[in-house]
Amino acid sequence: MISLVEQIVVNGVMAGLVYTLMALGFTLVFGIMRMVNFAHGELYMVGAFAALTLHGTLGWGYLPSVLVATGVAALFGAVIERLLYRPFVGRELGGMIMSLAVAITLQALAVIAFGPAEQSLARPLTGAVRVHEAVISLDRAMVAACAVVALVAFQLFLRHTRLGLAMQAVAQDREAASLMGVEAGAIYVRSFAIASALAGLAGALMAPIYTVAPTMGELPMLKAFVVVILGGLGSVPGAMIGGLLIGLSESVFATLFDTTLALIASFVIVLSVIVVKPSGLWSRAAR
Amino acid sequence: MRWLALFAIAALAVLPWVIGGRYVLHMSIMIAIMVTLALGMNLMLQIGQLSMAHSAFMGIGAYASALLTMKLGMSVLLTLPLSALLSAMTAALLGPVFLRIKGVYFVLLTFAFGQIVNLVFQEWTDLFGGNSGLHGIPKLSAFGHRLTDPAGIYSVALALALASFALVRAILRSDIGAMLRSLEADEPLSRSLGANAMAWRLAVFVLTAAMAGAAGSLYAHVIGFLSPAAFGFGLSVDLVVMNVIGGAASAWGPLLGALLIVPLPELLRGAKEYQLLSYGLVLIVFLLFFRDGLVGMVTALARRRAARASSPDAPTAPARADAEKRAA
Repeated sequence: MISLVEQIVVNGVMAGLVYTLMALGFTLVFGIMRMVNFAHGELYMVGAFAALTLHGTLGWGYLPSVLVATGVAALFGAVIERLLYRPFVGRELGGMIMSLAVAITLQALAVIAFGPAEQSLARPLTGAVRVHEAVISLDRAMVAACAVVALVAFQLFLRHTRLGLAMQAVAQDREAASLMGVEAGAIYVRSFAIASALAGLAGALMAPIYTVAPTMGELPMLKAFVVVILGGLGSVPGAMIGGLLIGLSESVFATLFDTTLALIASFVIVLSVIVVKPSGLWSRAAR
Repeated sequence: MRWLALFAIAALAVLPWVIGGRYVLHMSIMIAIMVTLALGMNLMLQIGQLSMAHSAFMGIGAYASALLTMKLGMSVLLTLPLSALLSAMTAALLGPVFLRIKGVYFVLLTFAFGQIVNLVFQEWTDLFGGNSGLHGIPKLSAFGHRLTDPAGIYSVALALALASFALVRAILRSDIGAMLRSLEADEPLSRSLGANAMAWRLAVFVLTAAMAGAAGSLYAHVIGFLSPAAFGFGLSVDLVVMNVIGGAASAWGPLLGALLIVPLPELLRGAKEYQLLSYGLVLIVFLLFFRDGLVGMVTALARRRAARASSPDAPTAPARADAEKRAA
């Protein structure tokens, strides 16, 4: 019994860390640009395909491939923001529809470039370790470790660098920030690149664990959505706590019942949260 | 101009009978069903709410109608209004909670609701047939007379689409339409003038759910087979796309949008890979450059022509600038 509980917690935390990685970028873009980016999952897909190409096809080492894939996703994000999303800043409905269009287009481009079939990437690590009663596979543990490093780095960046502080300032009050000499446009493109990098990193890390396909971003996007609503749109700590909560709840339901029920459970949790407290559990004061 | 448009639509509506053939008629039936759904989405967009729940409302109508005829042996004549009613009742129950919330949160809420409904269709295999689908749904029939001829089925679908078009157009052109637009433009002001915002929003939500339910019921009996995938997130996105491409400002937009979008996969059948790409790119181009959709393009053209006709020698600069501004 105790071993089952431990295993559920370990699985939940490991899944939750990846959800957090996805959710952070999503919530960052919303917090700063008031933009709901439905194409966030496609940046995850871009990261995964970049890792597949570099590691699988070109034979680079795994970690350099992951790093470059993260950069590729960031570049994609920056270009998309500047060319397509910028005209929609402040127009929520139009922005959402534009992000849907971008999601469709990126998926279509992936189908043309790589074909619709699912492809797999060799696992960089095999085997498992036993921690007390729980079994942890090494590749999953590595993903979790990379996610923790990225999350800590992101927090430090947000709190202690000029750009991080400027991003927080724009999120709080764009006009006041611009009066202080923070140019909003430059912040938009950079935060979008950072958000895309986080999604691309998640995709590159998960590529060897799941299969790689043009539609692979849809489910993580869904999870990010759920996490972000739970934690409060635009709230960074909310995304972290929400990610772990959803990871744990899914782990419980998936172990005791099945994965579909786990998904339904997350949606029901989120529905009730929106109805009771639309701004999310950890939102900042109402705007 | 307006008469010309109405005439063109009448001609287009008659065309499938003239051309005939199973394929053309089937495509026309699908267009008519999608027009009904896209018109519902248009009314939701008019009140500024992007709903991802309407694909689920269509699904509820479709499965309800299929199961009522299959399990209880009811006539389609009865199940069509009943399934519209069921969707409307679901919307009426959810609306007071959902519609308190606006913007992104409404999208997320309706999205989550749509996903739950779809997962229930997938998982409750005993009743809904799961992902392998629900087979053997009776075709359309009334008074013991089976309607199997595609031309006849098309007339039913066309009647539904035209009724929806007339209804939405009448609503948008009436005081109610002005009221709905005022809620979207400036809700506090509109409420201070006595508009009951919640009641109007709920009315729109329930009415459009009923339209989706009726369209779903018709779909079930036309196709004779249901699977949950048809009522997923993608359908709601398609409905939004039809409104963007056609133009969301009037009832003409979703009509034109559905006419263009529904046959698109068939037109691009040879280049299947590029089908999705062209879909995405067309959407991006319209969002960036033709914000008022096809209808906006046509009216801008007409206005420019009218401006030129009124002063044949030199079109006044302001009029031209105005028309160009609208076209942009």
